[in-house]
Amino acid sequence: MTNILFDNILINFGFGTKAEKKRVLLENNDKIVFMDLTCYDPSEFYQSFPNLHGSFAALFCDEDKKIEVHQRISTPAFILKLKELGFMPFEISFVSCGFIFPRTIAQIINEAHFALEEQVASPQDIDRAMKYGVNYPKGPFEWSRGRELFVRTLLGELYEKTKDKRYLASKLLAQ
Amino acid sequence: MNLQRIVVIGAGTMGSGIAQWFAQQMCSVELVDNSQDQLHKALVVIHTSWDKLVEKEKLTSCQVNQMKKLLEVKSLDQVSKKADLVIEAIIENLQIKKDLFQKLDQDFSPSTIIASNTSSFPITLMSEAVSPERKQRFVGLHFFNPATIMKLVEVIKGEHTDATLCSQLYQWFDSKDKKPALCKDSPGFIVNRVARNFYGEPLRIVELDDEAKMKEVDKILKEVGGFKMGPFELMDLIGIDVNYSVTCSVWKAYHQEPRFAPHSLQKKMVEEKRFGRKSKRGFYKYD
Repeated sequence: MTNILFDNILINFGFGTKAEKKRVLLENNDKIVFMDLTCYDPSEFYQSFPNLHGSFAALFCDEDKKIEVHQRISTPAFILKLKELGFMPFEISFVSCGFIFPRTIAQIINEAHFALEEQVASPQDIDRAMKYGVNYPKGPFEWSRGRELFVRTLLGELYEKTKDKRYLASKLLAQ
Repeated sequence: MNLQRIVVIGAGTMGSGIAQWFAQQMCSVELVDNSQDQLHKALVVIHTSWDKLVEKEKLTSCQVNQMKKLLEVKSLDQVSKKADLVIEAIIENLQIKKDLFQKLDQDFSPSTIIASNTSSFPITLMSEAVSPERKQRFVGLHFFNPATIMKLVEVIKGEHTDATLCSQLYQWFDSKDKKPALCKDSPGFIVNRVARNFYGEPLRIVELDDEAKMKEVDKILKEVGGFKMGPFELMDLIGIDVNYSVTCSVWKAYHQEPRFAPHSLQKKMVEEKRFGRKSKRGFYKYD
């Protein structure tokens, strides 16, 4: 995790466990905090930490650095800082566990891993099928490369919250 | 492998698109349908499309004249039985398809490859209609609409399909204007399986029939995710009934696996005849 502090505003970037994220909030309870909560449910954090003014999902962003941002308390300086750092924030009015893009893409990635586990096709052919059959900008394996931990954590969190078996990760992803 | 003589059965949207694409590869194509009217309509659509491509300077009139000569419309009895490849693109009805494959197996040369463009039925199940020898030359070739534009062809290996034949087909399409993907005969093949969550998960994110939230989800998946269309506008375009039916079919084929379960809103909308753009009311209103 990386922290950036300016004007008593702390922006916390990167992946961390739920406990690590909560520790940052506790240690900085005299500051306004914005936090990357890609893999978690921001509303759960909002309930316990009044100093958490908003959250964002940057763990799945590409070179274009487009990210979802939710502000519980509007803070223009935070948005300006994100832009200064090269991000393109897209504000959302509601949050759910895993935001919108990470949650959707995590499920697509999980299904692609199930298909691979069942030897339906190679990762290359699965990527190719999704890009050229339904115009996805990237194949599921291209999206997941280096992000398996984030997908796994997000699916685990969704399962914990809903107990819905649709969020159980494939064995390949769980490894 | 050299595919030169192609027969396409079914002159609907998919069949005529597939026939057009093969003619554009300079293959000799016979397009077959029970309905003369349908065949005439398909030919007009294909010729008009080619004429437009000449106007846009994407093809020359010389090329198009040649393609027009290469594409013929016929009844099944009139076609050459020495085709290299026969592709079935008729109605999604298992018994009608099986009856057709039985006839094709009897009529066509033993070397002819018989393929189905089905998106619903297992290739192995359909191959029950043909002889043990033909089973080795029976394969799934799943094109995507519009077939002349979408690059993907899923090459589906049935239980008895010769693996070498699948590799050769893969290489042939790869050498042309297509992006083939080799896959096992399993429900939904690749795309109709992996894409299910592009619809199912956003429905669970919004939870309720809330147009403002749907707009936001569509916007984020386009702007942040880079998808060409959002899931709700895409489901409205595909047809809520069609999408729900595919979802249910994949879900049943996977023995009610929760990952493929349809959302209650989809069922409700079908019951209310909110089919999407075609009924002017889906997730959005189109007045």
